[in-house]
Amino acid sequence: MKGRQSASGVLSTVMGLALTILFSFGLVILLIFLLSKMPAKTIYAFFIGPFSNKYYLGNMLNVAVPLIFTGLGIAVAFKSSVFNLGGEGQVYAGGLAATIACLAIPHAPGLVGMALALVAAATVSAAIAGFSGFFRMKWDADEMISSFLLSAAVALVCNYFITGPFDDPNNNILSTYPIAKQFGLLKIFPPSKLNVSAFLAIAAAILVYIFMNKTHAGYEMRMCGLNREFSRYGGIKVSRYLVLPMILSGALHGLGGGLMVLGTYQAAIKGFSFGMGWNGIAVALIARNNPLGVLPAALLFAYLDAGAKSAMLGGDVTFEIASIAQSFIFYLVTAQALYDIVRKRRRA
Amino acid sequence: MQLLEMKGITKLYADDLVANDSVDFSLEEREIHAIVGENGAGKTTLMKILYGLEQPDSGSILFRGVKKSIHSPLDANRLGIGMVHQHFKLIPDFTVAENVVLGIEPLRAKIFVDHVTAAREIRRVIESHGFSIDPNARVRSLTVGQMQQVEIVKMLYRKAELLILDEPTSVLTEQEIDSLFSTLRSLREDGKTCIIITHKLQEVMDISDRVTVMRKGGVVAVRSTSEVDKAELSRLMVGKNMLFQLDRKYAACGDSALEFKDVTIRQRGSNRPLLDRVNLTVRSCEIVGVAGVSGNGLGELEDSAAGLRRIDSGQILFDGQDISGLSTGELRARGLAYVPADRLHRGSSLSSTVTENLIVTNHHNFLRAGFLKSGKIRHYATKLVESFAIDGGPRIAIGTLSGGNIQKVILARELTGEAKIVVVSEPTWGLDVASSQFVYEKILEMRSAGAGILFISSNLDEIIGIADSIAVMYRGKVVGFLRNEQDQSKEFKEFIGEYMLGLRDDFVSPDDFVSRDDFAVRAKGESS
Repeated sequence: MKGRQSASGVLSTVMGLALTILFSFGLVILLIFLLSKMPAKTIYAFFIGPFSNKYYLGNMLNVAVPLIFTGLGIAVAFKSSVFNLGGEGQVYAGGLAATIACLAIPHAPGLVGMALALVAAATVSAAIAGFSGFFRMKWDADEMISSFLLSAAVALVCNYFITGPFDDPNNNILSTYPIAKQFGLLKIFPPSKLNVSAFLAIAAAILVYIFMNKTHAGYEMRMCGLNREFSRYGGIKVSRYLVLPMILSGALHGLGGGLMVLGTYQAAIKGFSFGMGWNGIAVALIARNNPLGVLPAALLFAYLDAGAKSAMLGGDVTFEIASIAQSFIFYLVTAQALYDIVRKRRRA
Repeated sequence: MQLLEMKGITKLYADDLVANDSVDFSLEEREIHAIVGENGAGKTTLMKILYGLEQPDSGSILFRGVKKSIHSPLDANRLGIGMVHQHFKLIPDFTVAENVVLGIEPLRAKIFVDHVTAAREIRRVIESHGFSIDPNARVRSLTVGQMQQVEIVKMLYRKAELLILDEPTSVLTEQEIDSLFSTLRSLREDGKTCIIITHKLQEVMDISDRVTVMRKGGVVAVRSTSEVDKAELSRLMVGKNMLFQLDRKYAACGDSALEFKDVTIRQRGSNRPLLDRVNLTVRSCEIVGVAGVSGNGLGELEDSAAGLRRIDSGQILFDGQDISGLSTGELRARGLAYVPADRLHRGSSLSSTVTENLIVTNHHNFLRAGFLKSGKIRHYATKLVESFAIDGGPRIAIGTLSGGNIQKVILARELTGEAKIVVVSEPTWGLDVASSQFVYEKILEMRSAGAGILFISSNLDEIIGIADSIAVMYRGKVVGFLRNEQDQSKEFKEFIGEYMLGLRDDFVSPDDFVSRDDFAVRAKGESS
């Protein structure tokens, strides 16, 4: 009986999500009819375009990669009832840290440089997020606020480094010097930008899933996330789990940023990761904080993105149509999820 | 004359959980009707349907011979049905009068609340039924018994003719129960009808005119109270003979296990002591029962013994070592087991599985290189689920279980394995006879195994039934300490009740048992 109850719970969640997605697709179609002079062609471009050639398809998958990392970062934190709203700054800082690491060792062998770059990215972002967790543990400062504010400040600092000390005067965009060629990740689906970071994203989702569900620390983190008083009562050191989820969350965000640089941009461009943090929250919420669910949720977001780009080129609408659809999904999904969070926080 | 008839009421929860299975229930005017039954027998569901909180899947309700559908408590109020819930629904910072009129305030010029009229009306209700509350007092300052009176006044103010009382005595002292019962009798004189839901058979015998016994969602018997006795009711309730009988002998076997020395806790922001220089010793193989009315420091005693609340002064010693300030985790490592009063929030994580709940205290024992050994854990959980007869299974969310089964999960976790000290608070609250008996047996087993047990409860019957000695708390102080001789007589309960209500101040020192041979008390040393 109980098993069936929870199964029907899952079913209703999936049904709800399916409805949400159908609504948003409906909205896209409606908007195209209103805005386009050649709706049939534009609709075709939006929905089918991303699959029409290897370039589009690969790029769509490539957009999903950083979303998987930020989505996982948020899922880890939210599962522990720790609220990291600083994803934007953490992705950005991670990307910059990876770039600087690569620029510092231009002659190192490829794998060494990549590894160092990713370690730098994860460490810097973990530290930034970890601060908020530490403040929460030490002085009960709301990590939701502090991570958000810190992220806003960090983004400005990153802007300074990208347009100041590391600015490459030889190009006409605001970006750092490019990293050395050997640090670029192997492309796996030419001519698109899709690269081996896609495998890393899948591996990350599986590892996070195993960590949360099979390990000692994961169990304690989940218990703290569900009920902190119960965890303290059971003997778990709860204050530790205000900091650890933040650190993990920051590290995952940093990796997302670092992989974007190594795999896609080969430099830190001003604002290159814009939106990745916030969209990561949406992805995690759609996935109901399930690490494996993050994979399809990130793909959905990437699909809307790619569809809009395709409709822009193959039809006659602007890119904003994707943002409207994404935010529509975001509102519908977060309404329920935020309700749960607020209820949980009130109880905690 | 028949006031109410419920016919063929069926209520299904979830897919196949039948809470009420074609229940017939009828009520005569001007009677006090008891509904008894174990947990999950369907009593509360039936009353929720009558009060409009739940809708039946089938069946009909006839009120004064007319078929009615009751969709909400407002509908019920309009028919003259009122309910006093087990957990009071009062606003502590409002006065009695404000609480009573909440939602139906008399208005002046259709805008302003007419406090004068409200207070006068309420005073009339209070005086005509012999209640002892001041309409202008803040609810925060009332005793639990008085809060219950406010709930009753609230219903009478709404012109209730039929009062439903859900477990009204579970939070009351002996004296307060007496006064509640005389209130109910006077209401009956005034032509009101009462339904009282209870677990306690003695109360059924004391107060009711008729009794309906429910079991497993159905009615098994309706009797006139004068024609039944407790043994028969008990048999009808559980389907077999089961009487409150514990095999226990006094046997203090060890040295001091847990010691409170002048422990004081002050309310944050004020100087009011919540625990006031408490001295208490629990030795191994001994059950120290702590009795008291809620709000008199029982909760603070529980929290501080379990390491969940800092004490402001004094010392808590565990085998001679100062443990004040240690966390629950550190205390557990030293041999603490703890069954909290707050089962749903502190004692369990409702959306986690039974297994996850069972291993929270000892998952360290199932580790290999940082990974949980799922096979071992499954085996362990299955074993506990079987030996504690927990319904469902190890993999379902604990929040979907009944209250009794949730408590069994907590007991399985806390009372398995070795413990030197066991802190138990309100362990049978809301449980039926069979489940309570099970709880007592487990606690006695722990005692036989050498644990010292701090047994905190507002249920005096069970304290007298199980404890070796009894400490009574009033306003944060230990005001009485007695060797317990399992005397279930009414006089003895009233004697303890007087301490609980602060009517006696003759207790002096915890080194000295209050002698109860003649209920007289020797004073020794000077008053603390």
